[in-house]
Amino acid sequence: MLFKILTKDGFEQLVDGILESNEVIGPKRVATGANGKPIHQYLPVTSFGELDLDYETTEFPAKTYFLPYRETLSTFHFDEADWTQEIRYRIQPRAIVGLHACDINGLLKLDKVFGRDAFPSPYYLSRRRNTLVVGIDHMPCEGGFCQSVDAHVVSHGFDLFLTDLGDRYFVSIGSDRGFDLVGKVENREVSEDDTHAYLAVRRRISDAFKTHVRTQNLPTLLDLEFDSPVWKRWGDKCLSCGSCAMACPTCYCYGVNEEVSMDFTVGTKVKQLHSCNLVDFAMVAGDHNFRPSRESRLKYRYYHQHRGFAEAYDEPKCVGCNRCGRVCLAGINPPEVIADLHEEDRA
Amino acid sequence: MSTELHRYDITQESDFLQPRDFNRKTLLQHVDQVFRAQITNIIDLTSEEKLFHVRLVKDHQRERFTFLPGQFVMLEVPGYGEIPISISSAPTNKGYLELCIRKVGRVTSVLHKARRGALVGIRGPFGTSFPMEKMRDHSVLLIAGGLGLAPLRAPIFHVTENRTNYDQVHIIYGTRTPDQLLFDYQYEQWRRINGVNLSIIVEQPDEAWTGEVGLITKLIDDLDFDPANTYAIVCGPPVMFKFVCNQLSTKGVPMHRMFVSLERRMHCGMGKCCRCNIGSTYTCVDGPVFDYWSVMNLKEAI
Amino acid sequence: MRYLGIEPIRPRVGVFSFTCCEGCVLQLANKEETLGPFLEAIQVVNFREISTEKGADYEIALVEGSISRDDEVERLRQIRDQAKVLVALGTCAVFGGVNRLKDVFSPQEANRIVYGDQSRETAPIRAVHEVVPVDLSIPGCPISKVELERIVQHVALDLPWQFPEYPVCVECKQRFTVCMFDKGQLCLGPLTRAGCDAPCPAGGLGCWGCRGPAADPNHAEFDALVARRGFSRAQVQDRLSFFGGFPTEGSEEKP
Repeated sequence: MLFKILTKDGFEQLVDGILESNEVIGPKRVATGANGKPIHQYLPVTSFGELDLDYETTEFPAKTYFLPYRETLSTFHFDEADWTQEIRYRIQPRAIVGLHACDINGLLKLDKVFGRDAFPSPYYLSRRRNTLVVGIDHMPCEGGFCQSVDAHVVSHGFDLFLTDLGDRYFVSIGSDRGFDLVGKVENREVSEDDTHAYLAVRRRISDAFKTHVRTQNLPTLLDLEFDSPVWKRWGDKCLSCGSCAMACPTCYCYGVNEEVSMDFTVGTKVKQLHSCNLVDFAMVAGDHNFRPSRESRLKYRYYHQHRGFAEAYDEPKCVGCNRCGRVCLAGINPPEVIADLHEEDRA
Repeated sequence: MSTELHRYDITQESDFLQPRDFNRKTLLQHVDQVFRAQITNIIDLTSEEKLFHVRLVKDHQRERFTFLPGQFVMLEVPGYGEIPISISSAPTNKGYLELCIRKVGRVTSVLHKARRGALVGIRGPFGTSFPMEKMRDHSVLLIAGGLGLAPLRAPIFHVTENRTNYDQVHIIYGTRTPDQLLFDYQYEQWRRINGVNLSIIVEQPDEAWTGEVGLITKLIDDLDFDPANTYAIVCGPPVMFKFVCNQLSTKGVPMHRMFVSLERRMHCGMGKCCRCNIGSTYTCVDGPVFDYWSVMNLKEAI
Repeated sequence: MRYLGIEPIRPRVGVFSFTCCEGCVLQLANKEETLGPFLEAIQVVNFREISTEKGADYEIALVEGSISRDDEVERLRQIRDQAKVLVALGTCAVFGGVNRLKDVFSPQEANRIVYGDQSRETAPIRAVHEVVPVDLSIPGCPISKVELERIVQHVALDLPWQFPEYPVCVECKQRFTVCMFDKGQLCLGPLTRAGCDAPCPAGGLGCWGCRGPAADPNHAEFDALVARRGFSRAQVQDRLSFFGGFPTEGSEEKP
C-alpha cells in the first residue's frame, strides 16, 4: 500500500473536483434525535460543506448505493404476441466519501457473495466498479463492537482511506484511481513524524472500544444453543419489522416481484431487499410457512450472521456496527443476545 | 480542477462474450436474461396440475441446454413473476422440457390460463442432481408421494433409458386420492418394461379404485430388496420422505444412499436471495437434491 | 396478454359511496398519467364522480364508506345481491374508519354536538363486512391508487391478489426515512400493514395505522416500547382506535 499526506484544503479540492462532474454521496446531518444527538445519513451532497466527516454513525448503511433497496432487474416490452427483455446495469460513476472501516468491510463481504461466488451479479459488480470509495477513520461509535469481529480496520476495498492527524490527513491509497486523484492536488510524502502520528491515532482508536462481543467459538456455540430459551426470550420481543436487516450493511436477502404497466405494455421485474425477520420470508404458495415463529426467524438471522456465513467464508457476516441494535425499537442487539448465549452456556 | 470519474461498462468484460450457460456458475453473465421459450403443448394431468412442454426458441440455445435429473429451472412469465420448477423430462430429450405445475399462486394461476404457443422465459438449469452414475450396478428404489412424482420423473426416464446399468428397479408412488395420481397414462408403459416394478397406493380410495389402499410405507414394508445393494430416491412432502427414509434406514439402507429433493421459496436460483435457506444452506445451489444424512443435519429441513 | 394467449376480462364496475368523505373514490379519478388505461381496463357502469351513467349490470362493486343508517344497510344489501365481487374500498369501508369515533358518544350526544337541535337518524358505525360478506378489502385513508391499479390488473385476469404481510417499517427504511421514534414521535408503523410506501413518516408524521394490522402484529412488545419512550396508555389507545383497524381496550377483536 502507498501512503501520502494531504492537507485538509487539498482534500476539499479533491472532493470539489469530483463534485464538478459526478455524483458524490456522503454523511449528511439530517435531523436531531429525541436524545439530542445529530442523526446522519449517507445522501448525495452538492458541496463539500454539506459533508459532515466528523459524524459518529448513520442510521442506515451505504449499501443501497451498491445493493439498492429497490432495483429494476429487467423490463419486458410487450408487443402483441411477442415480448423483448431489456436489462441495464448502472454505469454512471459516483463517489462515496466518508465511509468508516466497518462499512468498507461490509462491502468486502458483499463482494464475496455477489462478486466471487457462484453466479456473480453484474448488477452489483457494475455499481461497485463504478463507485469511488473514500473511507475515513473514526473513534468507536457508541455500542459499536467492530473490533470484536475484526472490522475496525480495513486494508483494501477502498480507493482512498483517510486518517485525521489534526491539521492534515494521512492517506492510504488502495487503487490506481485513488493514486491519480491524490496526484491532482497538493500532496506530499509521508514523514517519520506522520507515521508516528498515524500509529498513535490508530492506537487511540483501538484502545477506545468499550463494547465487546465474545465471538470465539461462536459458530459452535450457536449449534449447541439451537434450542436455547434465549431465542424465545428475544424472539418474543421481535416486531418482525425487518428494520435490522434494512439497517445492516451486509444483509442482502431479497424478493423479486413483477408489475405490469396499467396499459399492459410494459412489465417490470423489481428486486426489493427483504428480511429474514419478516413473516412471509419463507412462506410458499399454498400458505405453508417454513419459519412461522418470531423466535425461529430471529434465530436464523443470527445463524446467518455468525454461523452460516462463517462456514462459507471463514468470517462472520456481521461487521459490528450495531446499527441493527440501535434501529431495533424492541432493543434487540447483538452484544446482549450473544452475551445471553454465553451466559446460557455456563448455566 | 475537474475530475471525471471513469465509466466502467461491465458487459465489455471477456466473460460476457461467452454464450450464456447456467451450468458455468463462475461465468460473469447476464444472470437475469431468460432464454425465450414457447409452450408447445399443455397436458391436463389432474384438476390442479398441468404438464407444459416448453421449447427454447433459439436453436443454438436449445442445443446447448443440458441438465441432470433432479435439477430445476426458473420459469419466467413476463410481467407476472418467476418460479422454480423441477424438470420432469428426460435429460436426453433435447426438443423440449416438461414442467409439471400445480395451480397455487399468482404465477401458476397465469400459467394455467395460458394457451399453447405462449411465450415464456427459462433460466437454468440450477441446483444439484441425483447421482445416477454412483447408482450404477445397484438396485434403485424410486419413491414419490403426491406432486413428488414430478421431480422423480427425470430419474425414472434416466433409469429406464439406461436399464442395463441398474439392478432391480422399483417405482413406488402414493397419493391421497385416486384423482390426484399424476401421469396415469404412463403407468402401463413403465409396467411393461422388463425388470421395472411399479406399485401404486392411495390413502382414500373412491368407488372405482381396485388397487392398494393405505400409506406409501405399506408398499415398502412388502418390498423384497437387498438393502446393502440399494440406492433410493424419495420425492414428496417432508412428512412423507421422513417416514419413508426412516423406514428404509431401519431396513438397512445407508442414509448416504437415500436422496431427497427439497422445496423452498426461491427468488433467484443462484444462491443470492436467501429465501430458500435451510438454516444457512441454500436449497438452490447446495440442493435441491440432498442425501438423507445431510438432511438429518439440516435442522430446519424436516 | 397476447403473448400468453390470454385476453383481459374488462369487468363491469360500479362504484358506491356510503358514510365517508368520498376521498377514496376520488383516488380512482386521480393519477392522470394512467387514468386513460385504468378506465380502459375496466368498464365503469356506475360511478357518480366521473360519469352520469347509472347502470345496474355491474359485476364488481367498489364500496367506500362505513354504514351508519338503516337506508344504507338496505342499499348495501341490494349492491351485494347484484355484485359477483364486492370490494370494501378504503379504511372506512374496511374498518369503520374515523367515523367510529362517533361511537364514543351516545347517539343523542353525537347528534347534539354535530347537528345541534336538528337531530338526524344515526346508528352505531359498522364496517361493510359487518353488514354483508366482503370478497376483497382494500384499506387505506385514502386508498393508494398505485396499489388499486395493481389490484385491478389482478381482478381483470382473475388472479389471486396478495397484500404485503409485513409492517410499514420496511418501507420507511427503504425510503431512508429517519425513524419517527428517534425523533420522539409516536408511530404505529411497527404494527401496521405495509403497501402504502410510508408517505406519512416521510412527510414527518408518525403512522396512524389506516391500513390496519400487519400479519401477526406484536402488540405486547409495542406496548412495552412505547411505554419505555414515555407515551401514555391513553395516547397509544387513542392512536390505535383512530381508524378502527386495531383491537383496542374494551373493544371486541376486529379483523
